[in-house]
Amino acid sequence: MEFFSQLLVSGILTGSVYALMALGIVVIYKASSVFNFAHGSIVAFSAYLLWSFVVQLHMNLLLAVVCTLIGLAILAWLIQRLILYPLTGQPILAAIVATLALGEVLAGFVTLLWPGPARTYPKFFPSGTFHLGATVISLESVINFLICALAFIAFMLFFQKSKLGLVMRGTAEDHQLARSEGVKINRIFVLAWFVAIIMAAIGGFLMAQMHGVNQEPLIALGMKSLAVVILGGMESVLGAVLAGITIGMLEALGAGYLDPIVGGGVEEVFPFVILLVVLLIKPYGLFGYQRIERV
Amino acid sequence: MMKRPCGTFDESYAQDLACVRTPFRWTMLVVLFALLFGGIPLVASDYFLGVMNLIGITVIAMLGLNILTGYCGQISIGHAAFIAVGAYTSAILSEHLGWPFWATLPSAMFVSGLMGLIVGLPSLRIKGFYIAISTLAFHYIIIWVILHGGDLTKGVWGLSCDFPKLFGMELDTEMEMYFLIMPIAVLGTAGAFNLTRTKFGRAFIAVRDNDIAAEFMGYNIFKLKALAFIISSLYAGAAGSLLAHYLGMITIEQFPLIDSIWYLGMLIVGGMGSITGAIFGAFAFRLLAQLVIYITPLIGQVIPAVSVSGVAGFTQMLFGTVIILFLVLEPRGLNHRWQIILSSFRIWPFPY
Repeated sequence: MEFFSQLLVSGILTGSVYALMALGIVVIYKASSVFNFAHGSIVAFSAYLLWSFVVQLHMNLLLAVVCTLIGLAILAWLIQRLILYPLTGQPILAAIVATLALGEVLAGFVTLLWPGPARTYPKFFPSGTFHLGATVISLESVINFLICALAFIAFMLFFQKSKLGLVMRGTAEDHQLARSEGVKINRIFVLAWFVAIIMAAIGGFLMAQMHGVNQEPLIALGMKSLAVVILGGMESVLGAVLAGITIGMLEALGAGYLDPIVGGGVEEVFPFVILLVVLLIKPYGLFGYQRIERV
Repeated sequence: MMKRPCGTFDESYAQDLACVRTPFRWTMLVVLFALLFGGIPLVASDYFLGVMNLIGITVIAMLGLNILTGYCGQISIGHAAFIAVGAYTSAILSEHLGWPFWATLPSAMFVSGLMGLIVGLPSLRIKGFYIAISTLAFHYIIIWVILHGGDLTKGVWGLSCDFPKLFGMELDTEMEMYFLIMPIAVLGTAGAFNLTRTKFGRAFIAVRDNDIAAEFMGYNIFKLKALAFIISSLYAGAAGSLLAHYLGMITIEQFPLIDSIWYLGMLIVGGMGSITGAIFGAFAFRLLAQLVIYITPLIGQVIPAVSVSGVAGFTQMLFGTVIILFLVLEPRGLNHRWQIILSSFRIWPFPY
C-alpha cells in the first residue's frame, strides 16, 4: 500500500507536467487544426535556450526568462509564417510531415549549438523532502506541481476572461466567421503557437530542473504528451489535464509493478501502449468531438 | 496517362495495356539496365558500390512505404520499425538457427508482413491522422520490445548476421552484394509497378482519395488498408533482411524514429504516389547524405567551433529543411519535374 501511494503521488506530480505540455498541442490543434509533432523538440529547444541565457550568458533568472520568451516568440512567428502559412489547404500529410521535419530541424539545431553531454541548471528551488503519512514527497516536485497549476490557471483566465483569449476561441470555432468579423487569423495562429510553446517551455524547464537539460529525454517527454492528447480528446482542454494526470499515474504504476518483471524501462513505452488501447476502444478520446464526414 | 505527340496511336489492346509503350522507352530501359548491371559495376569504386547498395536497400523500403502512404493514403511514421523487424528476424534465424539466406529473406518478409497486419488492425476504427499516431506508437513499442528481447535479440549489443551464401558462394564483397541487392530492387520495382495497375492498386488509390466514397463503391476498405499495410511491410522486411545480411551486424540504434521520418521525407521529396518518385526520393536522400559526408570536413575548417557531433546536428537540420522546402515549394516532388521534362521532350518541338 505504501509503495502504491508512493507511486500514485509521484505519478500525479509527473502527470501535471504532461498535462501542461498536452495543453500546448491542444491549443495549436484547436486554432489551426495542425497536430504538432514537433512538440518534443520545442520542449528541448526552449530548455536549452534558457540554459544558455542563464549559464552561458550569466543572466539572472528573470532577465533570462524574458529573453527566452522573446526567442520563443520569434520561433512561433517563423514556424507559422515560413512553414504552416504556405501549407494552408494542403492535405493532412503535408502538415504532419512539416511538423515532423520541423522537429528534426530544431533537434539538429540543438545538437549543433549545444553538443555533448547533459547540462544542469543552477538550483532555483529549495530541495528537501517531507512526509505525508508514509509517503515521501520531494519539495521540488511539489513546487513543480504548483507551477503547473499556476500556469493552468493563467491559461484558463487568459482564455475565459481576456479579449484576446476570446478572439482565439472564436477563431478556433470557425475561421471564416472570425475572418468576417475582422480577426486577422494568421496573427491568431502565431499567438496560438506562442502560447503552446510557452506551455512546452514551462514543462521543459520543470523537467530539466529535476533531471538535467538533455535532449533525448526531453523529446521523449514531448512525444509522450501526444498520448495524453489522444486520451483526453484532441479538442478538449479539460481532457488534456485529466488525461495528463491519468497517464502520469498509470505510467508510474506500470513502471513500479512491471519493471521487475520485464527488466526495466516500462515508463518509456507505457504511454504508447495506453495510446493504442485508447485508439482501439475510444478513438476520439475522453472528451473529443466525434467527427462526422460526408462524401 | 502518357502524353504523346499526335500521330502516335495504339492499334491493339495489348499495345494500350503495355507497360513500356514506345520504342524509345524500350531503348531507355535497355540503356538503364546496361548501366545498372554493366556500366556502374565496371567503373565504380568499392565505396561507390557501397553507396549504391545502400540506395538499393532504401529503394526497396521506399517502394513499400510508397504503396502504403503514396497509394493507399495511410500515413506511416513507423516504417523503420518494420525494417527493424525484418532485419532482426533475419539475424536471429541466421545467428541462432544458422538458416541460409534464401530461407531468412522470405521468413523476414513473412514476420514483417504479420507485424504489418497487426499494425494495420487499428485502421478498422481510425483513419488519417490517427493512423499516423498509431504507427508512431507501434514504432516505439516494437523498438522497445526488440531492445528488451533478452537473449533472442541481445538488447543493446545487437546481433551479428552471416553474409549471404548463394549457390555455395559467399557474397562478402560490395560487388557481390551489388549483384544480389540490385536484382531484388529491380524485381521489387517491377512488382510495385504492376501492383499499381491491378484492381488492388486502383482500389488503393480510391481509398486514398476518399475512403467513404470507396466504401460506397463496394470496396471493403478495411481489407484494402490491411492489405496495404501487409504489402508495405513485406517490402520493409525484405529491405531489413538485406540490410542485416549486408552490414553483417545490426543494433537497435540503426532503426531510430528519425529514420521513419526520413522515409516519409524521401516520399515527399521524390513525389508521392508514383514508383519513380519513390526511387528518386531514395537516391536524393542517400546522395545528399554522401554530399554532407564530403563537405563536413570543410565546415570544420571554416568554423572550428563546430564539433563532430555538431555536424550531425547540421545534417539533421539540412534534411529537415529540404523536406520543408519541398513541401512548400514543390509538394509533388522530383517526380513531377521529371514528368515535365519527359513530356516536353516527347512532344518537342511543340510546347504542349
